[in-house]
Amino acid sequence: MFNENLKWYFPASIPKAVQLIEQPGIILHGGGTRILKTQSRSIIGLVDICNLKLDYIKQKNNLYHVGAAVTFGKVVKFSKENNCLSMLGTALSEAASTPVRNRITIGGSIKDFPLWSNLIAPLIALDAKVEINNGSSKIIPIEEYITSGMIKTKHLVKEIIIPEDEKIIWRIKRFTLLKFEYPIFNIAIKFKFNGSLVHDAAFVITGVKNRFKRFNKAENIFMEKNLSEKLIKQAMKFIEPKFVSDYKYSSAYKEKVAKIIFEDLLLDIAGVKQ
Amino acid sequence: MFKYVKKAVEKIDGLALVTGNEKYTDDFSFDKMLYVSVLHSGYAHAQIEELDDSAARKIPGVVEILSYNNVNTILYTTAGQGFPEPSPYDTILFGKTMRFVGDNVCAVAAETKEIADIALKKIKIKYKRLKPLLNFEQSDNSKIIIHKNDGAFPKIPVYYDASKNIAAMVEAEAGDFEKAFGESKNKIEKNFYVSYASHCALEPHAAVSYIDNRGRLVIISTTQVPFHVRRIVSHVAEIPISKIRVIKPRIGGGFGGKQEVLLEPIAALVTWRTKRPAKLVYSRKEVFNSTRTRHQYKTVFKVGFQDNGIITALHLDALENSGAYGSHALTVLSNAGSKTLPLLNKIENLKFTGKGVYTNLPCGGAYRGYGATEAYFGYGQIIDMVCEATNNNIVEYYKKWSIKSGETSPIFKALGEGKEGVAMTITSSSLEECLETGSKEFHWNEKKKLYDSNFNKGKRIKRGVGMAALMQGSAIPEIDMASAYIKMNDDGSFNLNIGATDLGTGSDTILAQIAAEVLDVPVEKFIVTSSDTDFTPFDTGAYASSTTYLTGQAVKKCAENIKEQILKVGAEILGVIQNEVEIENEQVITKPGFADFRKISFAEICNYSFYQNNQFQIQATASHVSPKSPPPFAAHFVEIEVDTFTGIIKVINYVAAVDCGTPINPILAEGQAEGAIVNGISYALVENYYFSEYGKLLNDTFGKYGVYTASDIPPIKVILIDSYEETGPFGAKSISEININGPLPAIANAFFNATGKRLFKSPFTPEDVLKVLKG
Amino acid sequence: MKIKFNINSKIEELEIRPDATLLNVLRDNGFTEVKCGCSEGECGACIVLIDDKTVNSCQVLAMSAASKKIKTVKGIGTLHNPHLLQKIFASTGADQCGFCSPGMVLSAYSLLKENPNPTEKEIAEALDGNLCRCTGYVKIIEAVRRTAQIMNENLISRE
Repeated sequence: MFNENLKWYFPASIPKAVQLIEQPGIILHGGGTRILKTQSRSIIGLVDICNLKLDYIKQKNNLYHVGAAVTFGKVVKFSKENNCLSMLGTALSEAASTPVRNRITIGGSIKDFPLWSNLIAPLIALDAKVEINNGSSKIIPIEEYITSGMIKTKHLVKEIIIPEDEKIIWRIKRFTLLKFEYPIFNIAIKFKFNGSLVHDAAFVITGVKNRFKRFNKAENIFMEKNLSEKLIKQAMKFIEPKFVSDYKYSSAYKEKVAKIIFEDLLLDIAGVKQ
Repeated sequence: MFKYVKKAVEKIDGLALVTGNEKYTDDFSFDKMLYVSVLHSGYAHAQIEELDDSAARKIPGVVEILSYNNVNTILYTTAGQGFPEPSPYDTILFGKTMRFVGDNVCAVAAETKEIADIALKKIKIKYKRLKPLLNFEQSDNSKIIIHKNDGAFPKIPVYYDASKNIAAMVEAEAGDFEKAFGESKNKIEKNFYVSYASHCALEPHAAVSYIDNRGRLVIISTTQVPFHVRRIVSHVAEIPISKIRVIKPRIGGGFGGKQEVLLEPIAALVTWRTKRPAKLVYSRKEVFNSTRTRHQYKTVFKVGFQDNGIITALHLDALENSGAYGSHALTVLSNAGSKTLPLLNKIENLKFTGKGVYTNLPCGGAYRGYGATEAYFGYGQIIDMVCEATNNNIVEYYKKWSIKSGETSPIFKALGEGKEGVAMTITSSSLEECLETGSKEFHWNEKKKLYDSNFNKGKRIKRGVGMAALMQGSAIPEIDMASAYIKMNDDGSFNLNIGATDLGTGSDTILAQIAAEVLDVPVEKFIVTSSDTDFTPFDTGAYASSTTYLTGQAVKKCAENIKEQILKVGAEILGVIQNEVEIENEQVITKPGFADFRKISFAEICNYSFYQNNQFQIQATASHVSPKSPPPFAAHFVEIEVDTFTGIIKVINYVAAVDCGTPINPILAEGQAEGAIVNGISYALVENYYFSEYGKLLNDTFGKYGVYTASDIPPIKVILIDSYEETGPFGAKSISEININGPLPAIANAFFNATGKRLFKSPFTPEDVLKVLKG
Repeated sequence: MKIKFNINSKIEELEIRPDATLLNVLRDNGFTEVKCGCSEGECGACIVLIDDKTVNSCQVLAMSAASKKIKTVKGIGTLHNPHLLQKIFASTGADQCGFCSPGMVLSAYSLLKENPNPTEKEIAEALDGNLCRCTGYVKIIEAVRRTAQIMNENLISRE
């Protein structure tokens, strides 16, 4: 327990919630997992988002809108039952553990983006956008949201918007030795083909220095070309993830293994494509 | 044939456990209870120059603060062992010298846990930081002396030299190793390292205490050793034994981690001084940092052998990192030798040397396997190396050279627990059948042949198989004592009271099965009360693989005495002489062949003995000390995949054939083996303590430490192959520890089979594996 | 402050701190069948159901569970009226020390409600938030599999 005088707020509208969190020490509460991990004494008020009606997954014009209050568990279930959002659904099904997935929300995970997040890599690869509200509503690509520093400002995450495209071929990898362990990194790879030619590609890794890295140069190598082993070898030169050493693994090991896994996944897709 | 033994009887507490009905220590709360928090040292080595708790005492709700300012300096050992303990008296409840990150500084008792935690932060402490000693290989040459002028001493007459950081030393020899090794044509000499590990019992350590209506102190504790707790608390808290009652309720796993008296004296002192109930529950981080661990070890094996594979000389030299205090330092060390070296008993020249040294790191203690796990890592690989070098089939090799029924090993006598051991002849072993059946089930020969061929050549993912043969012990001979008490009730039910400590193993059930078998009464007719120092007779506790074997025999003796009394009363009622009756299905009946069949039920017999004639309570007590420690045996087989690009080892198949004598309860016996194997695998592949350069444990949560989940386990098959141990109850030996010893050597051997390289350091992390593959 | 909770289908008005976890509130009010193994959402001993979904109650602020249906292991079966899962857990040797059992049983219960015919892999995955150090999981997985089989063969309700 961290603050005996903690105040709870249950606003019924987004503007009201945004107004509340503008005050110092007041933050949003979705599932609460992150708040309980930190147990910061500087938290004096919690704004619960349960009355904001953000617990939705909707499809509109080839776009999926996933509300901030949706739990990982709900995304996984929705993905399985509706045979959609397969990359995101699979990535989240591997996150943490079943009871934790029933609690972690999309909103909280976007805003906090822990190093071991399973969420961000697929979202970047999918060119997802995030709708936030800091007095007014804005829709920003997820990559920009993180790199622009917007992530650190006070705001409410309303939803993520994910273009659904059945034609993509994707692979993800959460690298751990054990099921319940913080992953060293998460990789997400996406290809879109036009006939046999690569039309779009995204290679993303999280858990690296600066939190995430997208390898645009490597992606570009494949554009409008056939996915071949030769091109993969070429592309691998541009896939150089940089890590920080920790007590378990050196940066050199992580870099080596991340590259191996990138190559494995790319070759796997190439194999399927041929 | 047995009726209640060797049956998969449901645990008597099973339904109560799975419906959440059973109570564990932290589930007990009392009115006006105080909550206790302990401040632990953040420094690995420091001297407290001043401890000022005046500000903390002013906080409303703070009731008591214990520190060296107001608690007497009494040396003791936290090891919950028999008295006098073979572990050195080197610990003080609240001392001035901090010897590891996690050492006790002081404790606060307050009206709420939150107040206690806040108060801890208000205690002003002036530390003088000292240089820590963090490398155990440098301990005995170090200028840093961990126990300097603190009076630490051995309680029993053994070698101990705190001035050289030596917590324990053991030597034993049979034959002449140096001579034989010198003359050997073939020699192997290798160093092996195993890591620290945490028991990770799901229930954290806890103690709750209160004063009963007559002013006595009652301690409810998560302990494996209630009687040792009573004795040690009496010593440390200076309260007479007669004033202390210790109760072990249900306990959420122990594995040796709760064979340690850590929290009880603190809760006891709070309650004794304030006369109020007190509760102390460790957080998971405190369990990782401050309680006990598996010892880190370096073992050096030297082996000399002939071209045909016959080993003529073997020397095991063990260096043990005891950590800051020498809890179990000596006995874990002796077991590293005594539980491995007798296995291949025909080696004529055997030598064991061992040293346990102090460091400023967390303390080792008892951990399932108890030295054997640490030593089998090298032992099992050395045997594999000899077999590989001499083209011996390792399974056949173990069959031929392992100790057999009727045989002995000089090591049994040479290596005891703090004193000379006990000579013993093996009277039960099905190891040969374990090797045979296990290898068949595993398809050892086919797989070994396949992976020995060029199957793996050029492949990124390489496969291999490995195996190891193992032994352990059952109880500590001529030291450990267990006792049992049984009384009969007027409906034909019985109270079975034992001091033995069921830590989830099911020993309450197993002991009831043994009594049921003797008395031919269903298990559910036994009301089992265990582990309450006021109401149950003495038992050394749950350790050393002893409860089934040792307490089981006490229960059997006790039940046999009850049986005699029942027969006597039954005969009296039936009007026959005692040798004309026998018991069957809760009745005394006249024996077959007796002309006039008569019978009388147990309920009627008890009623008679209560109310009718020659009244007395049918009751008995019995004690048992074992003259020997018959080893269980096992053969473990493992198949692995090695990703030579990432260094990840994946176990894909595991078979263990185990000889535990008669498995009193086969399902519970299998469960012991399965649990130990999974813990053994995770110890081999993942578990470790990672320290900062200042000696602070870095991975002190489950998530960072890495505990296997249901999703991480390979297919595991356990096969129980009976033998009959005449000194055990209905032929039983032990099973709880042995199976944790197999995965380390078996996986390492499989790795060699897959890659041609040896693993000398555990855990086999992917990064280390890659280094080995490169090197 | 006093807050109303729906625990095991009974409305309970409990005095709580605003920063209390659901785990602490439950245990402080006698629901000691909810165990505490780590307080960090990593062991599963404190699992309860909130609106039929498993959660680590140590990772839930009690205030946020106020209007929801909370179920502890006693909410699905008691000593005198055990759920089939509990009976099979006990008879299969899926319980050793029993400290993980309440959480483990609830995870299995939640799985079988969603998926009456789980494969062994699906069972293992559904139990990925429950640590057990005693059993090695072999008999736990077997108990869940057997329960599913018996429920399906005898058309027993999964409630």
